[in-house]
Amino acid sequence: MTDPFDVAILGGGPGGYVAALRASQLGARVALVEKDRVGGTCLNIGCIPTKALTTSTDLLVNARRAKEFGLTIPQVAPDLPSLMTYKQSTVDALVGGVEQLLKERKVTLLRGDGYVLRPDRLRVTDRQGAISEVTARQMILAPGSITARPPIPGLDLPGVITSTEALNVDVVPERLIVVGGGVIGLEFACIYETLGSHVTILEMMPTILPGGTDEAVAKRLTLSLRRRGLTIHTGATVQSIESIECGLRVTFNQAKGLNAIEGDRVLVAVGRWPNTEGIGLSEVGVKLNGRAIAVDQHLATNLPNVWAIGDAVGGWMLAHKAMVEGRVVAEHVTGGQRAVDYRSVPNVIFTRPEVASVGLTEAQARAQGADVKIAQFPFSANPRARILGEAEGLVKLVCEAGSGRVLGAHLIGPHATDLIAEGALAVQVGATADDLAWTTHAHPTLPEAMLEAALGFRDATIHFHSR
Amino acid sequence: MPEYLETTVDKFTFKVATDRFYTHEGVWVLPDADRVRVGLSDFLQQRSGDIAFAEVKPAGTEVAIGDEVAAIETIKVNVALGSPVNGTVIEVNPDMEIRPEAINQDPYGAGWLAVIEATDWETDRAQLLDPQAYFVVMKAEAEEEAKKL
Repeated sequence: MTDPFDVAILGGGPGGYVAALRASQLGARVALVEKDRVGGTCLNIGCIPTKALTTSTDLLVNARRAKEFGLTIPQVAPDLPSLMTYKQSTVDALVGGVEQLLKERKVTLLRGDGYVLRPDRLRVTDRQGAISEVTARQMILAPGSITARPPIPGLDLPGVITSTEALNVDVVPERLIVVGGGVIGLEFACIYETLGSHVTILEMMPTILPGGTDEAVAKRLTLSLRRRGLTIHTGATVQSIESIECGLRVTFNQAKGLNAIEGDRVLVAVGRWPNTEGIGLSEVGVKLNGRAIAVDQHLATNLPNVWAIGDAVGGWMLAHKAMVEGRVVAEHVTGGQRAVDYRSVPNVIFTRPEVASVGLTEAQARAQGADVKIAQFPFSANPRARILGEAEGLVKLVCEAGSGRVLGAHLIGPHATDLIAEGALAVQVGATADDLAWTTHAHPTLPEAMLEAALGFRDATIHFHSR
Repeated sequence: MPEYLETTVDKFTFKVATDRFYTHEGVWVLPDADRVRVGLSDFLQQRSGDIAFAEVKPAGTEVAIGDEVAAIETIKVNVALGSPVNGTVIEVNPDMEIRPEAINQDPYGAGWLAVIEATDWETDRAQLLDPQAYFVVMKAEAEEEAKKL
């Protein structure tokens, strides 16, 4: 038993480690409990490794298009073992970086399974089974999330995988069936399609990217994916997965009746659940909201001095949302006050083309009774997008009709995930379309599409004409 | 196969299919009883440029003359196409989603946009141009455009 820490954090993912680094910066003595490697799902089996794969597959697409760019590349093909090495070394370097930062900030990293014994005490069981206890004045719960497992018969069959296994590309299945047309499913669909799989996506909702994606953007993405040859079935509820002689058969229900398709692998990507079981939460009396830890606007749980952040509190399961919550809660546990401005948390999807959004969709803004004016601009009219040969997509700004205040920004197109930062800033500071339009953007660059879209608010778009 | 009226203005050749009607804006209308198939004239597609995206109102949409029935996006323009008739969209060219470039490649054939069930085709037809009349309108417009360049 050591002296009590100021703060004990359960979980070293993007929420937990950022809270640790920031609380330490603010002068707290911090203990961080992590059962695996720091960085959590995002760094180890989520955002980072998938983006390593999308980077390689994007290169592959461009290399195959070399001729269009006036280059001859005699032969280009994926080399799976090297691809895995690149992916893993990128992850390892970033994990190492976080570990080093934790050391520099003098955060005590305790490796093992954490269990909440009391609101001020954690039990840590390491790999060898040795048990220790940590006490702290404040506790931050950041246990993250786990892959959701829907009640579908056949989920345990060989060849039925989750995103974690899909990251380890040992073979490229000839026919891949992706159950779930959300972020994870679509990103892997694009990766495997580029590597050579015939991909079929089964989505239960009426459109892919359910929830929070602007309809115009979701529609464009659907078209882009179909043009590339992906098959998408929406309104399709999977009934069962079964083994057949030559692979797996997935049976699904649609309005028009039962249908079945066959594949070599089935990736089940129907989302993630808050990881709140088996870590002492209910025993100690932490209030849950469904599977998620219930928190107030300050990220406080129902127990005094116990806070919770990240995927475990539900809402958008995004690393950057967990990170900002980590920074906010670090201020609370060190006597400060701050709240997360969720309006400006962007959502990004690394499909090809990429999709990104922040703030209100057109439908949400109208549902709130806002008088809305839409200003948009297609990437087909952006010179940089043309140069890159990626002229598919658009920027759509949802503006308040009178003031021009930017309520939301929705992008599909090249580097949309980078470009959304400007939209997030606009939403955060309450910028107007005029503010964006009179901020000169460098030429020829992709952000000019933001400027041109903003000009549309005054019907003043220069490089596009509507008739 | 339709026959065509043809004119060449400043190196560009424009065709007008003689088996159908036209709006002044260049939307063609091919009737089959009360059902009319609509698309872009050769001049309108050439003037608009390479089509990147076409969005046609879904089947079931009721349209009045002039209401947007489709929008096409090219490199520099977004063109809203008004319905040539009063009626209901009953069929949309499924190819428009996957390969809208069919409008550029075969404007009078594979590049059709939609079929509209007209509520009163005989009345609406009176508002439309026959091929010879559209040919004159189109040629004048093409020559006007050529002067601007």
